[in-house]
Amino acid sequence: MEAIYKLLVKIIDSYASLRDKINKGWKEKNSSRIREWKLMSYAFSKSKIGVLGGILVFIEVVLAIVGPIIAWEPYWVYPVINNPDLKLLPPCIPPWCTGGPLLGTDEWGRDLLSITLVGVRISFIISILVVLFGAPLGIILGLVAGYKGGVIDEIIMRLTDIFMAFPALVLAIAFAAVLPERLRLLLESNTMLRDFLAALLGLRVNEYPQIASLLAVWIAMILVWWPGYARIVRGSVLSAKEQTFVEAAKVLGLSTRRILFKHILPNIISPIIVMMTFDIATAALFAATLSFLGLGPQEPVPELGFIISKAGNWFPHRSYHIVTFVGIVLLIIALGWNLLGDALRDILDPRTRRAIEFTEGGEKK
Amino acid sequence: MSIGGDPVLSVRNLDVKFYTYAGVVHAVSNVSFDVYKGEIVALVGETGCGKSVTTKAITRLIDPPGRIEGGKAYFRRRNGEVVDLLSLSDEEIRDIRGNEIAYVFQDPTSALDPLYTIGHHFYETMIDHRKIDKKNAIQHAVNLLKETLIPSPESRVKNYPHELSGGMRQRSVIAIGLSNNPVLLIADEPTTNLDVTIQAQILELIKDLQAKHGMSVILITHNLGVVAEVAHRVYVMYAGKIVEEAPVEELFENPQHPYTRLLLRTVPDPTKKIEKLESIPGTVPSLINPLPGCRFRDRCPFASEKCLEEPPMVEVGKAHQVYCWLHAVKG
Amino acid sequence: MGLGRFLARRVATFIPTIIGVLFITYLIAYAIPADPVRAWVGEKLMNREALEEIRAKYKFDAPWYEQFAFLVTSLLTGNLEDPIQHRNIFDELFYRFPITVEVAIMGFIFTAIIGIPLGFIAALKKDSIVDFFVRIFALVGSSLPAFVLYYFLILFLFTYMHTTVLAGMPFPSQTCIASISSLPSKIPVIGHIVSAIGSVPMFGAMMCGEWGVVADTFRRLYLPGLALGLLDGGLIARIVRNSLLDSLSQEYIQYAKARGLRKRRIWMHALKNASIPVVTVLGTLFGGLLSGAIVAETVFNIPGLGRYIYNAITRLNFPAIIGGTFLVAIVYVTVNLIVDIIYAVLDPRIRY
Repeated sequence: MEAIYKLLVKIIDSYASLRDKINKGWKEKNSSRIREWKLMSYAFSKSKIGVLGGILVFIEVVLAIVGPIIAWEPYWVYPVINNPDLKLLPPCIPPWCTGGPLLGTDEWGRDLLSITLVGVRISFIISILVVLFGAPLGIILGLVAGYKGGVIDEIIMRLTDIFMAFPALVLAIAFAAVLPERLRLLLESNTMLRDFLAALLGLRVNEYPQIASLLAVWIAMILVWWPGYARIVRGSVLSAKEQTFVEAAKVLGLSTRRILFKHILPNIISPIIVMMTFDIATAALFAATLSFLGLGPQEPVPELGFIISKAGNWFPHRSYHIVTFVGIVLLIIALGWNLLGDALRDILDPRTRRAIEFTEGGEKK
Repeated sequence: MSIGGDPVLSVRNLDVKFYTYAGVVHAVSNVSFDVYKGEIVALVGETGCGKSVTTKAITRLIDPPGRIEGGKAYFRRRNGEVVDLLSLSDEEIRDIRGNEIAYVFQDPTSALDPLYTIGHHFYETMIDHRKIDKKNAIQHAVNLLKETLIPSPESRVKNYPHELSGGMRQRSVIAIGLSNNPVLLIADEPTTNLDVTIQAQILELIKDLQAKHGMSVILITHNLGVVAEVAHRVYVMYAGKIVEEAPVEELFENPQHPYTRLLLRTVPDPTKKIEKLESIPGTVPSLINPLPGCRFRDRCPFASEKCLEEPPMVEVGKAHQVYCWLHAVKG
Repeated sequence: MGLGRFLARRVATFIPTIIGVLFITYLIAYAIPADPVRAWVGEKLMNREALEEIRAKYKFDAPWYEQFAFLVTSLLTGNLEDPIQHRNIFDELFYRFPITVEVAIMGFIFTAIIGIPLGFIAALKKDSIVDFFVRIFALVGSSLPAFVLYYFLILFLFTYMHTTVLAGMPFPSQTCIASISSLPSKIPVIGHIVSAIGSVPMFGAMMCGEWGVVADTFRRLYLPGLALGLLDGGLIARIVRNSLLDSLSQEYIQYAKARGLRKRRIWMHALKNASIPVVTVLGTLFGGLLSGAIVAETVFNIPGLGRYIYNAITRLNFPAIIGGTFLVAIVYVTVNLIVDIIYAVLDPRIRY
């Protein structure tokens, strides 16, 4: 725990020095904010679930980055064609067994561990991108709706009502079913986009139809995700609007954009950050579910939900190892972010944060 | 009004501590006071001095991490029996609460349950203490609301709390307190959350109700103006202890404790031109593991070595006591 | 302002929402697909004549407002035909819908039975081992992919322990079904309501006293019910715990104590206030169970609406996806409306 605290403090300090180099005197002006960050880091380092979540997330990020690079078997090759015996091999874990694939193979004879490493990156990219795009979209619309009020507010709220009228999964299914066609055409014509996405996801350019499906899943999920943020942010803005510091800012003649982003947003951002963290977990499972239902990328792309879906055909006797292992991987991915979100929620609430500080016997500078 | 005879409430050596993250807070230390029949007693002091904790303690409304650690609270019940509130069983104290001792909360908005009508609040306060049917209970409620000068009480009784204004809520809470004709009414800062104009009305109301029903009232406030308006006798509290007690005129004309004197000086005289507002320099001391002796020591212009010892109670006039070494020396 | 006016206002927003749902459905059905005709017809090859017929019938070459009008009328009258097999999608949908309702009810019962008592205990024994367990339970429940849990429950409770079946669907007898469906003609309004409830196989069997069928239903559906209960039970437990603790710490509880109210009455105050967020979450949960049914029915082989939509996806049966999506959305909107009404009944403050 100490180590983590020291590490975080180091990161904060280097960030502060960097900002200071860009704008002289930044460190002075923001000294209380820096101190608050360090207090939060202390509270975080003291929180067991926070640290555990952080570790799990860190592992996922590392695997996501290096996964496709260190995966020793190419996911697009089906060894089963040359050697039918390789189909659905059970795990071979030393010391009870040697010489076989550590976690067994899938129905095409591919090493399960190898293709999972590719799948982790896909899961990570999709879940991060959904939240990274969906949340800001919703936040901005919520800010505008809450601050401006009037007709704009009505329109945006009606939109959220309509989108939220559908159960998330159903709406995502509907969009994910109709979008791939259009997106496939898009990727065919726009090779730069295609190459970029392929590299990002750790896939070959040849799989662009599957990438189109992934893109469809991504867009479908963003459409489902933004209304929640818009609603919550709008609510927060409505109550923040009444506070005197907003009136003061207006009187000082600050522009709307400045008021919204520099004054209102920082005050309402904490629960949003917590929500985003939890949502990364939800998005990862959601994307896996869409793939499970057949709406994501198809063969040979090893999306985690899709792997389990195919394994279902051979369950339980021949594919229990696939469902178990990939299931646990998904569980750990989601668990990491959920734990992190839980810890962040406690830390960002000043009351519970103080409680953590005091029980450990005083603040640390 | 007739004061005298045996007291309705006698608190002796009350001690309340709070065990918190930051340490043990000595919220109330060795507090003793009396309330006689038919009088309005004011408990005055700044925020955090322990006045609310004192009255919550005697009605046994202190929850962990608070603990009542000592003292007695003798109460004379309607039937003449004298009991120690602090040693009663849960059921016995429940019987007294809302019935013989009524508590009016400071913030009527959060005290009233938003899911129940005003009428229901009345009804449940009555039915849990005596036999009464709903119709009569509601009728009684309407009468009480009328007494507290709420217009159209018949419809108000069916309203939910959020449908009433702040002033009406406060009156309702006072009226609910009167449901069972209590012997003692404890009003915790009844006017703090209200507009000044409403404040005056509520104070008049309390005075009238008290005269009419003959009950005793403990009024908790930090506002000396309120004290002057309404109280018969005053106890001044500071940092968890009582520092002075006197009849109201005596206190204002002849304050003896340095704190009381400084406190009275801070109240601006509206008839005079004021250059600068007076304040008492320094801040209230921390009540976590407080040092022995007088707690006003650090801010008192007359403090001396002696003040490190617990100051004695000194009688300085008729029914006028002060807890200070200055007067002990003078004798 | 009163409940009545609130209800009127709330129901009034129902209409624009439905219009919005129709519009989104339209986008999905006509506007977004690159080649709508291909999408609707699927991979099946057909001659030019047949294609022209379909083009005209489904208004693929008509301007957008005609397309929209066609879609709206089809959906609202429950008359959407599959262009290849010329069957009305809605017949399938209405047949399968009650089954999905059954699954959702099962899931709901298990979630409530697991979650509410646990939440209570966690609140009463705050920071104890039970409280800690509830936290973990909620965490794992929301981190575990549903389909993985389904497979594992099947592995243990079906493959190894043979406690359930994974095929077929218990229905009440023909005579029972006949008598229930004849009710609307005998007693109007009430007959319709009872008949609608009775179309859910489990309830229909209960109405006719066919308890064997009820038992069979339980045996068939308890696995998905249990699974859903395990996934969402933790969340409900946490909500119950938090809202109960929150309610108990409110000033009105102190005030109730100060008035010397009896313990049971004080508890009623706490529970009534605590129930509001719980009921709201349970309500939205029920709506969510409908979409969760898609995955559950697929894995547990239940012939409900969810499985139908899943098949429609894999076989690219576009009209089925459109019709199914629309129906689920309508039901979801209705469930939300009911939840809002219950909320307004419980909490007088929001009736403005």
